[in-house]
Amino acid sequence: MTIRTRLNLWYAAVLCLTLLVMAGLSYNEFVVEKRQPKQAEKDSASQDMEDLVGILCVTVLPAVVLGLVGGWWLTRQALAPVAAVTRAAGRIHDRNLHEQLPRSGNGDELDQLTEVFNAMTARLNDSFQRIREFTLHASHELKTPLTILHGEMESAMTEEPLTASQRERIASELDEVQRLAKIVDGLTLLTKADAGQIQLKREPLQFDDIVRDIFADAQILAKPESIQVQITNCEPVTIQGDRHRLRQLLLNLIDNAIKYNAPRGLVTIALARVHEHAELIVTNTGPGIPQTSLPRVFDRFYRADPAHGDAVEGCGLGLSIAQWIVSAHDGQIQIVSQPEVKTMVTLRLPTVKAEVKAV
Amino acid sequence: MRILVVEDEKKTASFIRKALQAEGFVVDVCLNGNDVLAAVSATSFDGIVLDIMLPGRDGLSVLRQLRGQNNTTPVLLLSARGEVNERVDGLNAGADDYLPKPFVIAELVARIRALGRRSGETKSTVLRLADLTLDTVAHDARRKETKIELTAREYLLLEFLLRSAGRICSRMAILEKVWDYDFDPGSNLVDVYIKRVREKIDDGFEPKLLHTVRGIGYVMKETP
Repeated sequence: MTIRTRLNLWYAAVLCLTLLVMAGLSYNEFVVEKRQPKQAEKDSASQDMEDLVGILCVTVLPAVVLGLVGGWWLTRQALAPVAAVTRAAGRIHDRNLHEQLPRSGNGDELDQLTEVFNAMTARLNDSFQRIREFTLHASHELKTPLTILHGEMESAMTEEPLTASQRERIASELDEVQRLAKIVDGLTLLTKADAGQIQLKREPLQFDDIVRDIFADAQILAKPESIQVQITNCEPVTIQGDRHRLRQLLLNLIDNAIKYNAPRGLVTIALARVHEHAELIVTNTGPGIPQTSLPRVFDRFYRADPAHGDAVEGCGLGLSIAQWIVSAHDGQIQIVSQPEVKTMVTLRLPTVKAEVKAV
Repeated sequence: MRILVVEDEKKTASFIRKALQAEGFVVDVCLNGNDVLAAVSATSFDGIVLDIMLPGRDGLSVLRQLRGQNNTTPVLLLSARGEVNERVDGLNAGADDYLPKPFVIAELVARIRALGRRSGETKSTVLRLADLTLDTVAHDARRKETKIELTAREYLLLEFLLRSAGRICSRMAILEKVWDYDFDPGSNLVDVYIKRVREKIDDGFEPKLLHTVRGIGYVMKETP
């Protein structure tokens, strides 16, 4: 049944009900009341007027009220499925395109709209899937030529005779091949993560131990740059996590805090337990990130300052990988920056519940 | 030592063969998975370099069958996928080592040598190179009788480099063995640590022992 038919039927029903009520009340007013003898009939004209107002009040007012309530009910009934579809559609984004909107199954216009909408998201899902597969295949296919290139250049370097400048040139080319390999590795990791193909090896971990470990590496990394690294707080906290991935995450954050710092700058690390969460705050005194760039720093290959793209080497995927590791651990990561003053990265990871720890 | 290289990519197979032959290995090449079992039953190899992605049968299933036949030849798996789960799968299937592509040939060679040694070699407790000694029991490092103070990480790094003395160690191998990282952290962590260790063991001493091989890695040896 189409919505138009359904609305028409409902409207007819409301109308009939209203008319019935009106008729009933009128009958009562005109027939039943008239039968009773009037005690006094002094001023018939004013009496008629009063009667008319009385009749209007008794019969028309309830009908109007009934009509209003009926109309409100009608529109609500008609629009309820639209609201349901709107809510469901609002929940759809690039990661859950495979989910379909629930259909009423009664074949009306809205049901048809839902069907078309579902078909559209299915097509989008297919396209996204194809893009993911493409990236996965591309990064895999790139590895074979990279292996060959690396191997042949490495062999070339050990072949005699070779002048110092030739050797230097091959070595610098090898560096670039390795950088390319790193980018391909990063892309492969992220594409697999997108496709849900990476399983974390989660186990209960003393997060503070990992933080202290990384702190030791950070001090060594910072020394040649004359940057000071401090750990201001390191509360014991247990989390459920993948040791390798968490170390990768922390090293990435620390490395960024050192790389993007002012000369003779400061990096501080603080780990605290806040409301069932391990909260790690890494602050540095670098030039910071412009407000306009902040929402995009986790995007793949995004560089806040293209002019400095070459000055600081990296594959452009570090923060994207960091963000994936955080969300895979059901945590949150947030960056706040006051340019030229400080940049603060806050990482929140859920702690292990007491009963889990006891097991 | 006789090595079987199973790799379908002809160019890759060719430079692996060249590199291994240059190191004095005898090398046989097999271009697909189906022929491996026949080759192994006909000849006795000291090691197998096995690519996972192969036409015909894939490397993992070949490896499982080999191990199923009680063949204990050391196997080094090569994979273009370089995935943590795959590494675990490979080692579970009976591989002795695993190397993701693209790899450094010097490292492949070093790992194949290590495969050959893995059986029966006793680990020496005092490592020596020229006048540098490292007592792995007392954790004591000395150069010309001068005691060298090392942090825990620096000690691990020096021990790993000394154990592989004469062979090039790639950054990735160092990260894996010294830091237990299965990923490239994208920082110059290794280079910074190498610099510190070099300052401690080489500054003020001759000959220099810790050398950089540009584009490939690091090596400890007496002659540059």
